[in-house]
Amino acid sequence: MPDDLVARAQAGDQTAFRELYRQHAGRVYALCLRLTGDGRDAEERTQDVFVRLWDKLRSFRGDSAFSSWLHRLAVNVVLNERRTTSRREQRVMPAEDPDTVVGAQHAAPVRGSGGLSIDLERAIAELPDGAREVFVLYDIEGYTHGEIAELVGIAEGTSKAQLFRARRLLREQLER
Amino acid sequence: MNERELQDAVGRLPKSIDPPRDLWPEIEARIGARASSWRRRWYWIPLAAAAAFVFLLIGRGERNAWDVTALAGRPLIGTTRLAASGRLRVGDWLQTDDSSRALIAVGRIGQVEVRPDTRVQLVVASATEHRLALARGTIDAKVEAVPRLFFVETPAGTAIDLGCAYTLETDSLGKGLLHVTAGEVEFQTGPRSSRVPLGALMQIRPSTGPGTPYVDDAPAPFVRALVAFDFGRGRARAIRNVLALARPQDALSLWHLLQRVDPALRGLVYDRLAALVPPPPGVTRRGAIALQSRDLEGYWTRIQRIHFRLTVLRGVRRLDPRTGATARE
Repeated sequence: MPDDLVARAQAGDQTAFRELYRQHAGRVYALCLRLTGDGRDAEERTQDVFVRLWDKLRSFRGDSAFSSWLHRLAVNVVLNERRTTSRREQRVMPAEDPDTVVGAQHAAPVRGSGGLSIDLERAIAELPDGAREVFVLYDIEGYTHGEIAELVGIAEGTSKAQLFRARRLLREQLER
Repeated sequence: MNERELQDAVGRLPKSIDPPRDLWPEIEARIGARASSWRRRWYWIPLAAAAAFVFLLIGRGERNAWDVTALAGRPLIGTTRLAASGRLRVGDWLQTDDSSRALIAVGRIGQVEVRPDTRVQLVVASATEHRLALARGTIDAKVEAVPRLFFVETPAGTAIDLGCAYTLETDSLGKGLLHVTAGEVEFQTGPRSSRVPLGALMQIRPSTGPGTPYVDDAPAPFVRALVAFDFGRGRARAIRNVLALARPQDALSLWHLLQRVDPALRGLVYDRLAALVPPPPGVTRRGAIALQSRDLEGYWTRIQRIHFRLTVLRGVRRLDPRTGATARE
C-alpha cells in the first residue's frame, strides 16, 4: 500500500480514493458477506464502509496499517447496522419474516474457491446471526474473545459459547 | 468432520472475494453528494456568520436560539453539559448519550424530544423557517403550525412538516424510518418525495431516499414486497407481489407506486388501486396513468380521507375500507 495514496485520498482526491476502493473492495466485501450471510446486504454494507471511510479518512494517523484500520472500521459498520436493523425490525416487522432469518438463500456465490470452501461459505451463511459473527471474527479474522465482546457488545463467556455452538453447527452441516 | 479438519478448511477460505458487481458508481454518487453538501455548507458559512453578526449588532441575536430542557441525564450542547435547561443557538449541536434525553422548544410552534444516542443541529431559527439537522438517532417531533414551517434534514433527505407529530430515526448513513402519528409529513430527496399520513410508516435508505409509505398494521409480506420494490432487485416480481397482497387499506401505498413503477406497469397498478378504492368523480384512468396532477391530487384526497377515518375510528366503529363509510351490519 503506497502511503501517498492514503494521503492523497485524505486530501480529498477522489481518484486516489477510488484506487483505495479497488485495492480493498474484495477484502471488505468478503468480511461483509461472511458477517451478514447475505449477498445483497454485503453489497450495501460494502458501500456503507467506503462512504464511512471517506468521512473518517482524515482521522487515520498511520498508527496502524491502513488495511487493519479499514478492517476494524468495516467490522464496526456491519455490527452497528445489524444492531440498528434488529432494533427496528423488532419494532416494525413481525418476527415471522422468513427473509430476515434465512440468509443462505441470498448468499452470493463465492468465486475462486474449491468445493469444500463453497460448502463452508454456505454453512457459515446459514449460522444464526450471533454464532456467525463470533465465528467469522474469531476463526477467520483472528480477533480475540475480549475484542469480540467489546465489538459485539456481549460478555466474553457468551463469545466463547457462540464460537463453540458455531463450530458444532458447522461440523454437523458439513457432514450431511 | 473433526475440529482440525474444520480449522484447515477455514484456513483455506479466500481472504478476498470480488463483489459480484462494481459497487464504485453508487459509492461515488454518495460521497459526491456529501462533498457537494459540504461545499454548499462552506459556501453558506460566511453568509451565516455575517447574518449572525448583523443580528447581534441590532440586538436580535437571541431570536436565533431555542430553549432546551434536559429530560434525563446531561445532554451536551457543543462541548457544554446541559444541567437543567439552556439555549440551542443556530449552528449548535445537541448530543445525547445512551442515558440522556432532551426537549427542544421549536420556536413557538412545537417541540422535539431528542431520544438517547442522538445528534441534532439547529440550522435555521426564523419566523418563516425552523430547521434542524438530524445526523443520527431518533427524535419525536410535534408541531402545530401551517405546513412547511418545520424541516428536519437527515443524511438521506428532508422531512417537511405539514402540521403533524412524528418519530424520525436515522443512522449516520441515512438509513432510517419515519412514523407519523398525527397530520402528514412529506419526505423529500432530490426530485423523489413521499407523503406519509398519520398511522403510516416509511423506510428511508441512503442512496434512494424515501421508500413507499405503508399503514402501520400492514401485513409483513406486503411490507417485505414493498421494501423489495423500493430498495431491492427484481422490482417487476416485487410489484406483482405488492399488487396481489394489497388490501383497500393499502391504497396510499399503491398511489405512490403509480408514480414509481415503469410506465408500462402504471395501468396494472391503477386498475388494482381502482378495484380496491374506487376513484372519485373527475379522476380518469388516462389522466392518472399520465400522472396528471389534477387526477393524482383528486385521488390522493379521497385516499387520505378514507385512511384518516379508518385510522382514527379503528376499534371504535366498523368502516368499509373501500369507502370509509360506516359498514352495514
